[in-house]
Amino acid sequence: MLMSKMDAFAQAGKSAVMQNIQGTMQFLQRFPPFNQMENAHLAFLVEQCQLRFYAANDSIIKPADGPVEHFYIVKQGRVVGERQHVTRPGTETTFEITSGECFPLAALLGERATRTEHLAGEDTFCLQLNKAAFIRLFTLSEAFRDFALRGVSSLLDQVNQQVQRRAVETLGNQYSLNTRLGELAMRHPVVCDPATPLREAVRLMHEQQVGSIVIVDEQRFPIGIFTLRDLRQVVADASADFAQPINRHMTASPFYLSPQASAFDAAIAMTERHIAHVCLVEERRLCGVVSERDLFSLQRVDLVHLARTIRHASRVENLVSLRGEISQLVERMLAHGASSTQITQIITLLNDHTVCRVIELAIEDKGDPGVPFSWLCFGSEGRREQTLHTDQDNGIIFEARDAAHAAEIRGRLLPLAQHINQGLAQCGFSLCKGNIMAGNPELCLSRAEWARRFAAFIREATPENLLASSIYFDLRVVWGDEQACEQLRQSILEQVADNRLFQRMMADNALRQRPPVGRFREFVLTRQGNDKAATLDLKVQGLTPFVDGARLLALANGIGANNTLERLRQLVAREVIDPLDGAAYEEAYHFIQQTRMQQHQLQSRQNLPYSNRVDPDSLNHLDRRILRESLRQAQRLQSSLALRYQL
Amino acid sequence: MSLFAWLRPSPPRLDEQLRQRVQQLTAPAPLAEHSLRQQRWVVLDLETSGLNLNRDHVLSIGAVVIEDGAIDFRQQFERTLHQRDHKLTSSVLIHGLGPSAIAAGCDPAQALLELMDFIGDSPLLAFHAPFDQRMLSRALKDHLGYRLQHPFFDVAELAPLLNPQITLREAGLDDWTAYFNLEAAERHNASADALVTAELALILFSQARRQQLDSPALLDQQLHRLRRRRQQSHGF
Repeated sequence: MLMSKMDAFAQAGKSAVMQNIQGTMQFLQRFPPFNQMENAHLAFLVEQCQLRFYAANDSIIKPADGPVEHFYIVKQGRVVGERQHVTRPGTETTFEITSGECFPLAALLGERATRTEHLAGEDTFCLQLNKAAFIRLFTLSEAFRDFALRGVSSLLDQVNQQVQRRAVETLGNQYSLNTRLGELAMRHPVVCDPATPLREAVRLMHEQQVGSIVIVDEQRFPIGIFTLRDLRQVVADASADFAQPINRHMTASPFYLSPQASAFDAAIAMTERHIAHVCLVEERRLCGVVSERDLFSLQRVDLVHLARTIRHASRVENLVSLRGEISQLVERMLAHGASSTQITQIITLLNDHTVCRVIELAIEDKGDPGVPFSWLCFGSEGRREQTLHTDQDNGIIFEARDAAHAAEIRGRLLPLAQHINQGLAQCGFSLCKGNIMAGNPELCLSRAEWARRFAAFIREATPENLLASSIYFDLRVVWGDEQACEQLRQSILEQVADNRLFQRMMADNALRQRPPVGRFREFVLTRQGNDKAATLDLKVQGLTPFVDGARLLALANGIGANNTLERLRQLVAREVIDPLDGAAYEEAYHFIQQTRMQQHQLQSRQNLPYSNRVDPDSLNHLDRRILRESLRQAQRLQSSLALRYQL
Repeated sequence: MSLFAWLRPSPPRLDEQLRQRVQQLTAPAPLAEHSLRQQRWVVLDLETSGLNLNRDHVLSIGAVVIEDGAIDFRQQFERTLHQRDHKLTSSVLIHGLGPSAIAAGCDPAQALLELMDFIGDSPLLAFHAPFDQRMLSRALKDHLGYRLQHPFFDVAELAPLLNPQITLREAGLDDWTAYFNLEAAERHNASADALVTAELALILFSQARRQQLDSPALLDQQLHRLRRRRQQSHGF
C-alpha cells in the first residue's frame, strides 16, 4: 500500500513536464517555426538540448571542424558569420543571427562542414541539438521541416536552392501563377485535320462545349487553331460556305508552350500576343490547350482582358479609368502570392500598352507628324521595374541627316510629344520633376545627338553626368523601331568597357547609399520630420545598391540587358559574379521589392500617399529577419564593388 | 547503548530496501585537476519554508547538470517534498508552494535518495551555497541518516572572485543575473533558479578559463585564498 503510493508520487514528479523545459518552450514559442510546432514536438526538442555559453568572439563552429554535428538556436546574444575573403586577407561579416534564430541549416542538411565561421558577436547562449535528435525532429514535425527547408537561404548553399524549389512546390496552390500549365489543361483538346469541313468542326466544338478546336497534322502537331472569335467572323461574312475545309478559316501556326511552363508564362503570352488560347506541345505533339478562361478561373486575374481593353481604348479618358483596375489587379496578384518580379513585369507590360495607346491616340488626334520616331523610356520603366507609383522618364529618338535636319524634325515632333506627356500624366504617370520627358527639346533628339550626349556623360564624369547616366543608360524602346536604340546601347557598352575611370566613378556613386544595417544593431533607422517611428527607405537604401551595382557591372562587361535581375543572371553566366552570390543578391532584391509593394498596396488601400519608408517593427518577426538579411546582401554587393574598384 | 544516546535524534527508521540503496550511494569524488569542461557539476536550488537553518525544512528541490561544458536538458531533477504537518508561513509568498502542492508532493526520503542518485559523485554548485548545503545536510540526515560530504561551490562567491572590477555589495542572484543580462523564466521556483544559477556558472567558468583557473581544484584553491585574505583584512 505504502509502496504503491510512493510509486505514484514518484511517477507524478517524473511525468509532469519539467519547469525548465516548460520555460524554454515558452521562450521558443515567441519565434517561428517553434510557434507553429506541436507541443509534444517542441518538448522533444527542448528535452534533447544542451545550453551552451560562448563569450564574445568565441568560435562556435568553423569550416575546419568537419561535417556539422549540431543544430543551434540562439537563446540570448548574437552570432555573426565571418567568411574569409577569397582574394585578400581578412574576413567579412556575412550574416547575423539573434535570439530565436537557428543555424547552420544548410550545412546540417547538406551533411558538410560550415563554409562560414560562426562566432559569438557578444556573450551568447545557444541551445544545441545533436544531429540524431535534429533528424528525428525533422521527421516528426512538419512545421519544423518546412522551416528548415525554406529558411535555408541560397546564399549558403546551392543544394538548398533545390530544396527551396521543392518547398515552393509543396506550398503549391497558393502560388497559382506558378502552377504548371500541364495541370491546368485537364480536358483533352478537341482536334481535327485540316480537311475537316467547317460545319463538322463547329459541331465538334459545340458537342464538347469548348471555345476552340486545334487543327493538327498526322503527327498531331498543331498547324492551326479555330476559336469562337474566328467563328464570329465567318458568320459575319455573308458569303461564308460552311462546307469549306477548316484550314481556309483557321489561324495558322498557333502559339504554343511546353506543359512545364507556368500559368504566368501563359498569361504574359496572351497579353503580349492578344490571343485567348495557348496550345501545349510536348515532343512536337499537342497535349492540351489552355484558354484565358482556364487562367481566370484559377486566378480571378483578368490580365489579358485588361491588356486588350487598354489597346482598344478609344479615348484617353477610358485609359484613365482602367488605371484603377491595374491597381486592383496588383492587389489580387499579391494576395495570390505572385512574386514581385511577376508583378513588376505585369505592371510594365500594362504600362507599355498604355503608353502605346496614348501615343496612337495622340497621333490620331494631332495627325501623323510624317517622320518615323521611337518612344524611349529610361530609369525604372527602362529596367521594367515599375511599381504602381510611377514617374514619366521618356524621350524620343529619330534619324536625321544633319543638325539642321534634326532641328526641323524636332520642331515637328515636339508638339506631339508634349501632347503625349500630358496624356500620360492624365493616366497617372506623374510628370517628371526633372523634366526628363520627350516634350523637352533636350530629350527629343536624333540618334547622332543622343550618341554625342551619352559620350559626354562617359568622358566627363561630373556628378551631374554620373546621375544622368544612372537614369539614361537604362534606356529601352516602348513604341517604334528598336534599331537606333540598340545601336546607341552598343556604343555605350563599348565606351564604358574602355573607360576604367568612369567605371570607378560609377562604383563610387553606387556606394553612396549605404544599406541600413549596423554591426551592433539590427537596423540603422532615421526619423523623418515629425514621424513617430524611425524608418528606413526600402527603395533608396535597399533596392538602389542592387540596381546601381548591377548596372555598373553590366555596362562594364558588355551586357545589354536592362533589368536588374536579368543583369545579375547574365553576370553570373559570364562568371563576373559567383553563382551563390548572384542567387543571394537576386533573392534579397526580390524580397525588398516585395516588401515595398505590399507597403504601397497597403497605403493605397488606406488612401495614404505612396512612401518607400518602412518601420521594421511593423513587420512580423520572420519578414523583419529576412529584410535584415537582404540588406546585408546589399552591403556585400557594395563591398565587392569597393574591392573590385579599390575604393 | 551510549549514555547520551537519548540526546541524539533517533536515526530514521528506513525500510530495508531504502537502507540498502542509501548504502550504495556513490561517495563524492575528490576535486579534480582536469579542466572545468571535463567535470560534471550539479547545480542545486532549494525552496524552504523559511531561512532558519534549524527549524525550517526543504519544500522543493530543483537541480540541473552541467556536463561537457553545457547545461544538459536531458538531466534535470525537480521534486516537491510531501510534508506531513506543513504549516503555512509567509515564505509561501516567495516560493508560491501552497499547502496543496506540498500535500501532493512526493515522499521526502524517496525524493532525497533520488536526488543523491542524480548527484552521483559530482561537486555541487549553488547560489549562497552554505545555506543549501546545511538545509540539504539536515534533510538527508533526518530522512535517510546520510551524511552529505559533497563539496559545494558558492556561485555568489565565485562571481566576485572572477569579476573583481565589479563592486556589487552583498549581491544576490537577481543582481548578478541583471549584470550578465540573463533572462530568468520564473524566479523563486527551485528549477528555474537552478537553471539561471547554472547559466551564471557557465559564464563564470568561461571567465575562469581566461584567468587560468581551468580546473575544479584550482578554483577551490583560489576561493580559499580569497577567504583567507578577507579574514585578514577584517582583522581576525
